[in-house]
Parts: sequence; structure tokens; C-alpha cells
Amino acid sequence: MTALLEVRNLTLDYATGRGSFRALEDVSLSVEAGEVLGLVGESGSGKTSLAMAVMGHLAGNARLTAGSIRLGGAELTALGPAAMRATLGRRIGMVFQNPSTSLNPTLTLGRQITEVLERHRGLSGREAWKEAVAWLERVELRHAEALMRRYPHEVSGGEKQRVVIATAFAPHPEIVLFDEPTTALDVITGARILELFHKLRAETGVAGLYISHDLGLVARVAENVAVMRGGRIVETGRATHLFAHPTHDYTRRLVDAVPRPHRRLVDDNPGSAELLRAEAIGVSYARRRLFRASPAGGGIDGVSFAIGEGEILGLVGESGSGKSTVARALTGLVRATGSLRLDGVPVTRMRHDYRRAVQIVFQHPDSSLNPRHRVRDILARPLRLYGGSLAQIPTLLRNVNLPADYASRWPHQLSGGEKQRVAIARAFAARPRLVICDEITASLDVSVQASTIELLLQLRRQHGTAYLFITHDLNLIRQIAHRLIVMREGRLVDRLDVKALGSGREHPYTRALMAASPLPVGEETGP
Amino acid sequence: MTDLLRRLFRTRQGAFGVSILMIVTLICLLGPALAPYSPDRMDFLGRFAAPGVRHWLGADQFGRDELSRLLYGARDTVPAALLATLAGTLVGAVLGTLSAYAGGSWDEAIMRTIDAVMAIPGLLLALLIASTLGGGEQSALLAIAIAFAPGMARITRSVALAARQEEYVAAAIARGESGVRIVFAEMLPNVIAPVIVETTIRVSFAVMLLATLSFLGLGAQPPSSEWGLLVSDGRTYLHDAPWLVLVPGAAIAISAIGFNLLGDGLRDALNPRDER
Amino acid sequence: MSLTWLSRRLLLMAYTMLVVAVLVFAITQVLPADAAVTLLGQNATPAALLALRQKLGLTDPTWLQFWHWLWSLLHGNFGTSMRTGLPVGPTMFAALSRSLLLAACSILLMLVIAVPLGVLAALRRGSALDVFASLVSYLGISVPEFVTATFVLVVLADRLGWLPATGYVPLSQHFADGVRHLIAPVLTISLVLIAHVARMMRSETIDVLASDYVRAAQLKGLLRRTVLVRHVLRNALLPVVTVVALDVGYLLGGIIVVEEIFAIPGIGRELLIAIQNRDLPSIQAGALIMAGTYAVANLLADIAYALLDPRLRYD
Repeated sequence: MTALLEVRNLTLDYATGRGSFRALEDVSLSVEAGEVLGLVGESGSGKTSLAMAVMGHLAGNARLTAGSIRLGGAELTALGPAAMRATLGRRIGMVFQNPSTSLNPTLTLGRQITEVLERHRGLSGREAWKEAVAWLERVELRHAEALMRRYPHEVSGGEKQRVVIATAFAPHPEIVLFDEPTTALDVITGARILELFHKLRAETGVAGLYISHDLGLVARVAENVAVMRGGRIVETGRATHLFAHPTHDYTRRLVDAVPRPHRRLVDDNPGSAELLRAEAIGVSYARRRLFRASPAGGGIDGVSFAIGEGEILGLVGESGSGKSTVARALTGLVRATGSLRLDGVPVTRMRHDYRRAVQIVFQHPDSSLNPRHRVRDILARPLRLYGGSLAQIPTLLRNVNLPADYASRWPHQLSGGEKQRVAIARAFAARPRLVICDEITASLDVSVQASTIELLLQLRRQHGTAYLFITHDLNLIRQIAHRLIVMREGRLVDRLDVKALGSGREHPYTRALMAASPLPVGEETGP
Repeated sequence: MTDLLRRLFRTRQGAFGVSILMIVTLICLLGPALAPYSPDRMDFLGRFAAPGVRHWLGADQFGRDELSRLLYGARDTVPAALLATLAGTLVGAVLGTLSAYAGGSWDEAIMRTIDAVMAIPGLLLALLIASTLGGGEQSALLAIAIAFAPGMARITRSVALAARQEEYVAAAIARGESGVRIVFAEMLPNVIAPVIVETTIRVSFAVMLLATLSFLGLGAQPPSSEWGLLVSDGRTYLHDAPWLVLVPGAAIAISAIGFNLLGDGLRDALNPRDER
Repeated sequence: MSLTWLSRRLLLMAYTMLVVAVLVFAITQVLPADAAVTLLGQNATPAALLALRQKLGLTDPTWLQFWHWLWSLLHGNFGTSMRTGLPVGPTMFAALSRSLLLAACSILLMLVIAVPLGVLAALRRGSALDVFASLVSYLGISVPEFVTATFVLVVLADRLGWLPATGYVPLSQHFADGVRHLIAPVLTISLVLIAHVARMMRSETIDVLASDYVRAAQLKGLLRRTVLVRHVLRNALLPVVTVVALDVGYLLGGIIVVEEIFAIPGIGRELLIAIQNRDLPSIQAGALIMAGTYAVANLLADIAYALLDPRLRYD
């Protein structure tokens, strides 16, 4: 039996100003009818280039130098533009990563489905409308008729992604490409989208190519997995087997890097001394303006918690829950009500000693370092401000596992992970007692995330620093935190010891978050 | 500096722009030395002489050499435009930065007022101010500076606000840096590049505006050979001596194009993320 | 688009006009001109001048003069021209109507040329057409109107003799002749606008072409034409609406020069004559009407934008 989608020895080059760059090298994979193949890789591994090559959608400077792509036995690379357009959407559907940007903002949701039905199934306007409504109902959207007339900005991210999925499935394709379809969504929304994926697969028997950086996720959706790195496929195999017994070194490292909640990385217990106490912290973003309406939202209300000396406190919540606002309130970046105590002493104004004790590392490596300052100047600021000598700069860099000669580099000459290390070094230059980590690994690849976490723990062993670790990743935080606080819509809904997770004493919302973050492969049998 | 020039020359616009402006600068510096005649030397036999060996770019109604007048006039045109733009930028940049830094209702009030001032077309505002100041080269210069300030304020403010959103500014605030330090060390280096680009492009408008004011009689006065004035003079003899208009007109256009190209080139060259 | 949005927008416009009024009044106060001298001539006796000044209210405190002026403005009374002795309002509005005809023709010509030029340049980046478009853009934004106008005159009127040199014929009087008189000034004004808008259109189209939703539309297998018209053009045109409105301000400035050169009795020329004669009421009225026109154009653009972009419709 021949495969439905068969890629053979594909090699893809990009012509650049300085010669050619190989994006894919000798890539082969096949997807049987009805099968889902997971394609795993970190950023730059070539997984998106592969998807675009299959769709025949390559940049002008890209050249397929070798190989073939066959769909149902027919060679896709030989198709002319018109024949390819008749295949796209009709036989190969695609679900994109970010539903907020992949839908046209000025067209109604209905129009964006009906245009595909009219094009590929030859339906008249009215038939297409009825069929589109039926599909919206099938992807479990309520008020389908009304949704047809809505615009993308008027519905939630999850609803948008359902519309995108309906659009991909409506022309009855043979295979659907999923490009990280849950990455841009919140944990719980993403979990619902995955349920929908399983349901539609069972109903339609469609084949799939599921691209993701998330191994745990791929293990749940795919039978077979291909692992990509540097434009090559390094290993393929059954999902269950491959993750349990990786043979290739890279796969092993990748599997190791996936956060496993039951593999604790921190085994000590913090002392009982209280470091920082926040009492009834509130932030309101509503503001009166002269000629404009006052926007509100994103604020927090009545948030109270304490962090002990050397403790790691996890702050968990979905986007918009106000968890970053807590970080901004603690560092004086927004005006807040309520009170703070450092070592039991009330903090009235954020003075020098408080700021030195409480440092922050931000989410976006690209934005957190001033692009016009060299690494040396970036690290020199806290040293000057809090007393220290510039001679410490090489040590600071070595402490975050960076070579000392990085001092003379510009931020744009660093990778994302390296930038975060510099940001961490900047925070530690103040010799802080508490470092607030605001989603600092969210934009990093898994392996980089793992080494960044390892670094933070190493620094904590050296300096006894406490962390307020803000994240949406429950699996990650369960590995390192002593205690957790959970936020939802600006309020603290749960506060518990990490050991108490799964005991049934947690808040229903915490339980929902846990259910939405699946255990990675091999963990189901864990304690 | 040499590094910047190298990067400028790597863009096509930058290379063209710098080349044009180098020539214009040379003319401004050495114009009188290069001129074959005195700009005021009349020659009644050579009235309306067509461009040729004797007068490369022809002569005007008094037989004055057009090339010499052009070379002398450059000093009244380009440096003046540069000066006016710089003055307008300085006032606007300070206003815009203050507005962005103050924030809230102050920012709102300042910006709405600036929007309102900008409802008066730039040329009209310059005309009104120039005539209030009594006309002449200096009042035209001042008028352009004043007319440019609101626009520069708006641009500076928006760039400054964008810089303020960056996490490195938040990091500086959280660190407890002083306001002065945050504005000058963290924000300004990032604000300055786009402002330089915008300023450069605006010099081209200033060149045109200055010439237009002279053309309308509210800028440089005879016997100056400011380029707008040359066009205005030559218009009377359009039919018989079109070069009297074409030559200074082209000079204005080429200088303006030079600044436009340089601005576009700088936009690429000053982007830190492209620095190799 | 809600009523609160509209009322806020109108409030903003009222504030704009107030600021403009203050500014224009302040500038004309400083102008070295004495209405009494202008009216009575240089040889009038000091006593006669003083009497007239008192009658005109020129001896009142400045704020009171401003208040009187604003009060009569609100009643539609723009004052009397010191040069012609005629009421300023009707003169200026009649001139404005001629300028608006000129402006409307120029914007129309610009849209017809600039939009396709920008889109085609974006679709064929690096082609001869793209190079041509960027050349036109650089020329258009770098050549002042008085130079363009003079070139147009030399070529079309003087050398080729296709068009009348200067002057204005109302369309209602002699349509064909009126059109012939409009061609040269319209060409002059629209060159700048074409340059600006084509450049803008090109960069917008390039941005939209690179967007996720256009890629999604292409990967849905839609026809090229559908992708271009339904997904690219619609979104690329949106910001151009705002730019055209902002360009109206530029156009109104340029119109002063063009009307002067082509001897068109529009508001720009009236203003210039007023400035040259220090005719204060005419300057004030002309400047206010120009700023008002610009403010109205921006209001219309905002409304059009809100109607075209569903994201702003329920502000």
C-alpha cells in the first residue's frame, strides 16, 4: 500500500546574500491514510519549512534541489500553480498557529468559510452558508448563525481557532496540516481544541501532520513521530516507544528537557523566616482621560501572600489573570494599593534597599535588554547603583555560564537564551534576596528552558535566593516550587503546598488547570 | 562614524543620497571660489545668453551668469533649511519627550493642542508667521522652525512612548534608576535614531518651503540669489529663457531628493538589529 | 460607531477650531498693521485715526477684542475686508468653492493613478515598474509646487500650446473651457499626492502580502484574483484613507502656490493677497476656513475609516 503523503529525500536551499543556506536536508517521511504523524523540533529545526514545502508555498529565494512530495501517488512538486491551488484547501487543509492573525480582520467569519466551500465544493452562496453553519456547529460553536456575521475581533481566541479548523475540514480534505494549533492559546482553551481534534479525527478519519515543539502534546495526538533538528530528521518511530526509549542523542536530550512534574528538581525545604509579605495588593488600570473613554481591565484586587527566605513560590494563571501585574506591583512599576513588608518591616516607599533585595527578570529576551547598550554596560548599571566593582562583570557572566568575552557584545548578537542569561546576571548583580521571574522561559525552546531553569537553581544553591516564579506551565512549576498560588481574573483563588496537588483539596480551577496540562509520556504510571 | 558611512553606502538610497549631499556641501563651502563670475556682474551684451561656452548655464535679464548666481545662492538655501529644521526639531523633540514623560492629562492636553495647531497647513502657518515677522530670510527661517515643531513633537512623543513600553525601561525603573538617567541613558539612544531619520527627511521639506517662501516674496530678498528667488525672477522670461527657471528648479529638487534619499538610507543603516 | 464616539470627535474638532482661532488672532495681533491707517491712509490726522480706532474697538483690551471677534464669528460674521470694503465671509466661501473643485479633481486623479501604481509596484518588487514608481515618488516629494507648476506651464502651455496658460473659467459658464483651465493646476497638485500615496500604498500592500491571513487565504487554495481583491486590497487600502485626509492639509498649503501661479481666484490666492495687503479680517477668515476645511476632511476620514474597518465599528 502506498502512503497518502510521501516525502522522499527532500532537500531545500534558501539563496541568501552570503551564499545558500540549507533549510532541509534529505528529509523523508510518510503519512498513511487516516494516520497522524507528529513532527517535533525546536525553533529553526526546519519543521515549518517542511510544511510550507508540502503546501508548495515557498519564498522566492527557496529552491527544492532534490526529492519528491507525493500526495496519493501524484507528484506535488510537478504541479503548476493553478493545479496546486486546486489541491490546496481541497485535498490538503491547514490549521495555523495563531488564529488571531490567520483570519482576515475585515471579513466576517462566515465569509471566510463560505469562500472555501464555494471554491472547492462548487456550492452556491446559499448552500455554502448552510454548510458553513453546519460546520460551525460541528466544531461545537454555539449560536452558529450569529457567529457567521461576526468579525474575528469580536470572538475569543478559542472560537477563532474553531473557525479555522472548520475551514480546514469543510472541503473534506484527505490530510490536514496542523502548525502548532494550541501554542497561541491558553492552557485550558488549548486542551479543549485538542479534544475537538480527537473528535473530528474519529468522525472523519482524516490523516494529519501535526507540527509542534511540545513532545508531551505530540505524544497524545500522533501514532508516529518524526524528530527534526537542523533541517534533518534525526529519528522516527511509534510515539509511545520513541519517547520511552529514544535512541538518538538529541531525542534523548529533548525528552529529558520536558518538564516532568513528579521529577522534583528541588529537594530542600525553605526555612521558616518570612522574607516578603504582600497584603491586599490591588491595581486598577482604569484611568480618566480628557477626550477618550477610560479603558479598564488587567487589574488585580486583594492579592495577599508571603514568600519565605530561600523559598520558590509559583504563581500560576492564564493570560489576563493579572499575574504579571502582581510582579509589576511588587517592583513599583505600577501604582498599587495594599501593603508590603520586607523582613517584617513595612515598605512605605520603594527605597534603595528594597529595590536591591527584590529584582525582576522579564518575559521577552528581545525587549528586556537595551539594544543600544553593550552587555558590559547593561551589567555595570546595577553594580554602580548597588555598590560593586566593574571587575565583577566577568564573574557575573561566568556565573550564568556565559564566556567572559560576551561583555563586549551587543544584545542583537546573542540568542534568546543567552539574552535571558544576561538578564539573570543583571538581576543577580544586585545580590538580591528575591528574584521575580515573570514567564522568563515562555519564549524559549524546551532545551533552552531546561538549562535556564537549571541555572536558576544553581544560583539559588549559591546565594540562597528566593524566587517568585510566574508561569502558565503547571508541569514546570511542579518541579521546582515549594508552594503555589493560583490567580484567575485578578484574584487569588488558590494557595497550596505543591505536595497537596492532586490530593483533591485544591480549588476547582486549579484542578481544571491540572487536567489541561497533560502528563508527559511515561508519567502516567508515575506516583 | 566611518562605520555608519559604510553601512549607509551599502544601501542604494544611502549611497545616492550621500553622494548628492557631498556635492551640495562642496558647493556651499566652495561656491564663491568655483563661480566663474561675480554673481552681480551685469553684462548687457550677454542678456538672456543661452547655456554655452561663455555662460555654462546661461545668463539672466541683466546678463548675470546663472551658474555663478546658483553657486552663490546655495549658501542662502541649504544651510538655512538645515538650520531651520534643526531648530524646529530641537523644540519639538523637547516638547514631545516632556509630553511622553509627563503622561496622563498633561500629555493629552499637549497633544490635542499640537493636533489643533497642525490643522493649519504648514505653508500657511509659515506664511502667517513670516509676514508677522516682517518677511526676509531670517523670518522665513524662524517661521519654518516654528511650523515644524508640532510635527516633530508628535513623532518624538510616539517614539518615546514606544521606547517606554520596552522591558529594559521597566527594568531600569524597577532597579530604582533616576528619571534623568532613564530618559537620557535608556530611552534617548533608542529615540534618537528615528528622530534623526525624520529630521533628515524634513530638511528636504525645509529646502522646498524656504524656496517657496522666497518665491512668494516672504523669504530672501533681492539681490540674494536664493534658489526660490531665482525661479521667481526667471518666471517672467519663461518663454525666451526657460533655463532661468529650469536650472534653479532642478537645483532645489536635487538637494531635496538628496535629503530624502539620505533619510531612507539612514532608516536602514541606524537599525541596531541589522548591525551585522 | 457610537454616538459617544461621534460626540467626542466633534468636541475635539471644536477644541481644534478654538486653538486655531486663538493662534490666528494672536498672529494677526502681532502683524505690523494698523487698520485705521489702512482705511484712512497715511495722511490722516491723529485725531481722526484715534476716533476710528475707538469706533473699531482697537483701543479695547486684547482679550475683549478677541471675545468680540469670536462672538461675531459664531454668528457667521467674518468682518469686512479692509481692502475691498466687502464682507469677508461670502468672498472667502465663494473662493473656497473654487479651491474645493480643484482639490477634488486632484484627489480623484491621484486615486486613479496612485493606488494601482502602488499595488503593482508592490506585487512586482524590483521590476522596472517598481523602479519607475519609486522614481516618481522621489521626484514628487522633492520638487516644490512652484517648480512643477512652472515646468507644466513651459511644456503644456508654452511649448506645445495645448492648454491655456493661466486663468479660471467657471464650469457653469463654459464647461469645456473650464476643464481646459483646470488641467495644468490639477496635474501640478496631484503629482505630490501621487508620490506620497503611491509610496504609502506600496508599503501597505507589501505588509499585507506578508501577513498571516493572506498566507492563509493562499493556502486555502483561493484563486489569485480572490486573494488579491478580497484579502489584500481591502486591507491595504484602509490606512490610505487616513493618509489622504492628512494630505488634504498638505494640499491646502500647495493650493496657495498653485492658485497664485495659475491665477485661480481660490481661497489660497485670496489669502495671499490678504497677507500681502495686511488685510486682517481676510487673513483671519481665510486661515480659519482653511483649518476648518482640514478639520472636516479629517472628521470625514475618521468616519469613513470607522465604517470600513469592522474593528472600529463598535468603539
